[in-house]
Amino acid sequence: MPAEHIIKSYDEELARLNKMVVEMGGLAESQLADAIEAVVKRDSALAARVVEGDAPVDQLERDLDNLAIRLLALRQPMARDLREIFVALKIASDLERICDYAANVAKRSIALSQAPPVQLVHALPRMAQFALVLVKDVIDAYVEHDADKAIAVWTRDEELDEMYSSLFREFLTYMMEDPRNIGACTHLLFMAKNIERIGDHATNIAENLYYLVHGTPLTQARPKGDKSSLEVVAPNRVGSR
Amino acid sequence: MTTPAARPLLSAAHSSERTSDDGAPPRQPRPPLSAPAVTPLVQRLPAADEAPNTAMPATKVDIRNVNFFYGKFQALHDISLPLYDRRVTAFIGPSGCGKSTLLRILNRIYELYPGQVATGEVYLDGANILTPGLDVNRLRAKIGMVFQKPTPFPMSIYDNVAFGIGLYEKLPKSELDDRVESAVRRAALWDEVKDKLRDSGLSLSGGQQQRLCIARAIAIEPEVLLLDEPASALDPISTQRIEELIAELKTDYCIAIVTHNMQQAARSSDYTAFLYLGELVEFDDTERIFTHPRERRTEDYITGRFG
Repeated sequence: MPAEHIIKSYDEELARLNKMVVEMGGLAESQLADAIEAVVKRDSALAARVVEGDAPVDQLERDLDNLAIRLLALRQPMARDLREIFVALKIASDLERICDYAANVAKRSIALSQAPPVQLVHALPRMAQFALVLVKDVIDAYVEHDADKAIAVWTRDEELDEMYSSLFREFLTYMMEDPRNIGACTHLLFMAKNIERIGDHATNIAENLYYLVHGTPLTQARPKGDKSSLEVVAPNRVGSR
Repeated sequence: MTTPAARPLLSAAHSSERTSDDGAPPRQPRPPLSAPAVTPLVQRLPAADEAPNTAMPATKVDIRNVNFFYGKFQALHDISLPLYDRRVTAFIGPSGCGKSTLLRILNRIYELYPGQVATGEVYLDGANILTPGLDVNRLRAKIGMVFQKPTPFPMSIYDNVAFGIGLYEKLPKSELDDRVESAVRRAALWDEVKDKLRDSGLSLSGGQQQRLCIARAIAIEPEVLLLDEPASALDPISTQRIEELIAELKTDYCIAIVTHNMQQAARSSDYTAFLYLGELVEFDDTERIFTHPRERRTEDYITGRFG
């Protein structure tokens, strides 16, 4: 952090804001980790706790918003301080979304665990673990205000997108092979999509962090790995496999 | 009070009076200027530095390698920056950094005090205004100045504005009336004083007095307006009126403003110069200065980390 402000309470408030973002980040990590565990272990009780755990995150975000508004109104921040507050607000809303997606994954895992165990479930946790690493790393980058680390996360999201694309194709195949897979696979598809979105929010955070550190936006086009939205399925071709 | 006839502003005979719109009488009689009053203000420079670009505003005042000394103390070190026409340039920096000094060089008001010396060049439309023997009266007709504390003269509102005009031109009464009205209107004061133009300027509120001083400064139709903390002694509403006025006036003038109020600099200027310990640390677009300045010292200052 740069030199201290002449007004000490300003520093304290900025530090508190920072701490709240990090706290939200910690919650996002643990919510996502628990959601993955609930999927893997078919643990509905844990999944229910994840769903319930979303409310405290929302509350934390509201508290953070209030503090940020207070800082903007009372301190009239400039330059780095202004970016610090602006970026905290944006990152908090990304973290809140990540937690929503984690809760969504947990919710669907409850439905999924009522169906007979599907061997299909194995690919999903691998992708989810990768998303969790991105979230962890980007929060670490925020704690250290390390723009290079942020860029690394930003670049790695491409891999997550590719995982999603291949899962998408895989689930389609399963569904075509046996219509009884459709129920489970639909849930799995949504879960995979949620996890893919978590990666996008991690890159948003990385972009905001870059802006916070450098004062200029990260402008290059990000590599994109997900082409599933362009995917066309030819039923007879797949069916003839 | 009637307006004095046009005569050299700083002649020895005139020196005991309030000689300019700063309201501060000179501390000691000034010797008459050695050069004849007909010295041309404009001594054209080579055309090389005139680069009229459609995208960029024209440079109205070009400050180059300026140093300033209060006796032995050097208050400014090698300052170079442009002031663009029809733009507002803010000078910011902690007390004693030299921002007011820089402003005072631009109309050579420092010459009223002994032992103060400026070196370097300041070009107004390509002519060096620091040239010895330059007609300071004509210079000050082109470069008006408004000070931190409102400095109305102890005379009527009308005469306060007409006074400056009378120093430079002799106008028929009807034209003078028009000129006063238009200056007072431009200073956004007309509606408040039109029915009491014969009342004393001192009867106005602080904010009104400051706008009266701005009216007085623009009545002589200057090209550059220097504002030295014009709103620092005013309440927030009057401050906003002055800022609104600055925004209005910049359509016609090149404006330089010294302010301690960072928000004010950010709001009302197009360019900002940050001075520290007599040096120009950074000069850039105001937006750049207040969002992500290049210099660490600038950032520390504008974010309140040192003073």
